[in-house]
Amino acid sequence: MTRLLEVRDLTVQFALPRPGLFAPKPYLEAVRSVSFSLEKGRALGIVGESGSGKTTTAMAAIRLTAASGGQVLFEGSDLLKLSDEEMRRRRRDVALIFQDPYSSLNPRARVTDIVREPMDLMGIGTREERQARVVELFELVGLRPDQLNLFPHQFSGGQRQRISIARALTTNPRLLVCDEPVSALDVAIQAQILNLLDRLKAELGLSYLFISHDLGVVRHICEDVAVMYLGKIVEAAPCEALFDAPQHPYTQALLSAAPSLARRKSKGYVRPLKLTGDPPSPLNPPKGCAFAERCPKAQDLCRQTQPELSVRGATHVACHFPG
Amino acid sequence: MAPLLCIEKLRVTFRTRYGEVTALDSISMHVNEGETLGVVGESGCGKSITALATMGLIPSPPGRIADGSIQLAGEELIGANSARLRKLRGGDIAMIFQEPMTSLNPVFTVGDQIAEAITLHQNVSADRAFTDAVALLDRVGIPSPDRRARDYPHQLSGGMRQRVMIAMAVSCRPKVLIADEPTTALDVTVQAQIFDLLNEIQRDFGAAIILITHDMGAISEMADRVAVMYAGRVIEEGSADSILDQPQHPYARGLIDCIPTLGRAERTLKEIPGVVPPLHLLGAGCAFAERCAFNDRARCTTEKPRLIDHGHHPAACHGVEESRL
Repeated sequence: MTRLLEVRDLTVQFALPRPGLFAPKPYLEAVRSVSFSLEKGRALGIVGESGSGKTTTAMAAIRLTAASGGQVLFEGSDLLKLSDEEMRRRRRDVALIFQDPYSSLNPRARVTDIVREPMDLMGIGTREERQARVVELFELVGLRPDQLNLFPHQFSGGQRQRISIARALTTNPRLLVCDEPVSALDVAIQAQILNLLDRLKAELGLSYLFISHDLGVVRHICEDVAVMYLGKIVEAAPCEALFDAPQHPYTQALLSAAPSLARRKSKGYVRPLKLTGDPPSPLNPPKGCAFAERCPKAQDLCRQTQPELSVRGATHVACHFPG
Repeated sequence: MAPLLCIEKLRVTFRTRYGEVTALDSISMHVNEGETLGVVGESGCGKSITALATMGLIPSPPGRIADGSIQLAGEELIGANSARLRKLRGGDIAMIFQEPMTSLNPVFTVGDQIAEAITLHQNVSADRAFTDAVALLDRVGIPSPDRRARDYPHQLSGGMRQRVMIAMAVSCRPKVLIADEPTTALDVTVQAQIFDLLNEIQRDFGAAIILITHDMGAISEMADRVAVMYAGRVIEEGSADSILDQPQHPYARGLIDCIPTLGRAERTLKEIPGVVPPLHLLGAGCAFAERCAFNDRARCTTEKPRLIDHGHHPAACHGVEESRL
């Protein structure tokens, strides 16, 4: 297996307004020393609640948000060290799909122009070649050539997400960052888009960094998964290992919260693990484990010392009392 | 026992630029005391219109209740005067919406907003109403409720805002609580908390709940009975167990099969091709025929199937009727 992306100790800080004229500038640490790697042709899912830093991690890894520290090795070269000009040239290797297909397409542009624009900007091919590529991509994502000259509002949500995918694929990227690509869609349409992403991954040998809060979706599309909590990875493992034997109590709670056809009201189910409260504020992170105050297993050690990621079978888990 | 809320042959139409369009085509459903009815379907199937009609909130014009009846504990709601409807809304029937941020008033504290709902429906002093509001916030699991009651909506997290909405909805002990996709905007962990809370509230207050959702997983955890809607019609109806174990209509089966689950990891999900057709383009046949894998009989495109019981529970499908599925 070849490694496509390796992220080491990635940290993102956001500066906050000074509380007083001469007071030091406070920082909010949104991503705290995150490391992971992604092999070619595989998909890594990043899951967690809103505010856990999933999106910021992915955006910093492709340099759309400035990282404060760490390394991002993309096919061996550190993206964070490239000059702006060099980075611009590497952009074609990485593409993005966003959550909301309604706000991520220009309502006043025809979809053929939307899909062609990345090639125009990067000066790829001749005008005819680009147009041919657009037609080819339309077919690839399951749209019809007679729809090329329509506007985004003439398409349904699922079709718009297909247009976003076509646009992302124009430059033949090797890495696709998918930020909650199906959360805004109806379940029936969600299955269509997931099947499409799965097929494209196999046919084009793409790698996905797949952000989602839906564990079922991640299980379906990803080979590996990392669970984030308050800016840190608390558990990372191959999908089977994580879903069959989750080690971190937070992962266990997430799995127990996901609605499931196996739990019936008529059978009087009781959720095995209930989470109360909200995650702590990143402005004032706790000294010990960030999950301690919501954790059923928490002890004094957890409130005092932050657990580090350690290996347990196929899993990396940051917990003093895993399993 | 007569059902608490009974919707009979309700037809709602909207005037659009394509002419008069039927949003609800003669739908019937009911919910009993202390029971949860799940209403499931994709966007545009008429779930929310059903809820709005029940609340007497169909915007008119362009909307119009063309026919049918909605009875709450024997009282007819269609045609009731607006003073009576105002009394019932928030009193006997309450509703929780999808987006708690837009359904709360940003310039009043949450305690005041719950207290307002209480003083509108009960003859109590403002002080007493505020004390009640704090007690309700405590009941729905908001920590330090007396302090939180003085917070504005933007100071609360999404989950807490939805708890405030639930506190407000149950403040007057409604007989029927309509929850329209109450957790769509929330994280799964918060969704689980809200579901558990709704179930507790139902046990404590004995309210009937109508849960509108597109997620069969939510149906499984929450519902006693289910009505599956498609393009403005109820196409299948029955107990949650019966529908989840033996879905009859290909659409109901599709909604169950297309969910990626935690347990199994098949490579290809069963998908329902296409989208819900626009209401003004509905033809004479079954609205689902175009997306259906079993639409091989002529009747599917020429005749609307009726909701008939074929053994397990009522379903509206020619294929099921001819028991070839």
